[in-house]
Amino acid sequence: MVIAPAVYKKIVAGKLYMDQYYHEPISLHSISRKACISRFHFHRLFTKVYRRTPHQYLIKRRIGHAAQLLEKENLSISDVCNLVGFESIGSFSVLFKKETGMTPSNYRAAFLQKKEQARSNPSRFIPGCFIESSQRL
Amino acid sequence: MVTKLSHATIYVSDQDKALDFYVDKLGFKVHTDAKMDNGFRWLTVTAPEQPDLQISLLMPLNPYMYKDEEVRNAFKLLLDKGALGAGVMHTPDCMATYEELKAKGVVFQSPPKDQFYGIEAVVTDGCGNWFSMTQPKQM
Repeated sequence: MVIAPAVYKKIVAGKLYMDQYYHEPISLHSISRKACISRFHFHRLFTKVYRRTPHQYLIKRRIGHAAQLLEKENLSISDVCNLVGFESIGSFSVLFKKETGMTPSNYRAAFLQKKEQARSNPSRFIPGCFIESSQRL
Repeated sequence: MVTKLSHATIYVSDQDKALDFYVDKLGFKVHTDAKMDNGFRWLTVTAPEQPDLQISLLMPLNPYMYKDEEVRNAFKLLLDKGALGAGVMHTPDCMATYEELKAKGVVFQSPPKDQFYGIEAVVTDGCGNWFSMTQPKQM
């Protein structure tokens, strides 16, 4: 199936709308309206182009942003869940683990531990040859 | 026996601008961001489907990276001219990615075109490098 460039622009407009409003309870109706295509066609074309349904993409987007928010220490897991648009912390936790392999709290703990290690002892993360060769040149 | 590549280096003129391109625009993830006391910053990112290949975004224009001024000047010339072809990136849909990145302000040297190996656009990272962005042909 060949998709015309003008149609690509519409699909991308729908995707960028999801990227911007992922945290709100947006529907396929509102997304396809933004894209100026019918719901059926938007769903079909989006899935073909991005290899996942709009719903699957929205979940992935929400989880991705949740991971970024978990890297900030001042937000609780519950806050993060709400900020990215999930209504239930249970389903958020399950989906987060399915996507990342870790629970939200384990993800945060691992990130903060690595961040502190990089701050206090950065050389353990840098291959010695890069430091040594730069000193030669 | 060498089994795989674990790190590849892309030299960039500005590591913060590089973060904006590779992470905020392309969707790569920061793997390590560690700074030495002398200012040397080891910054690595990974592509969404290659979490075990770290791309080190290194800035060669200060003495912490290269003491030799001639070496730094050579890098500056290449990066200022955008001369470094850093590699080929794959995308499942070149046209969609092209439209999205353009909407985000990314500069392309050329739009998607049919090639014998797939559909290819040429994208710049804004930090001295250009890439082939290719949707491989289904074999």
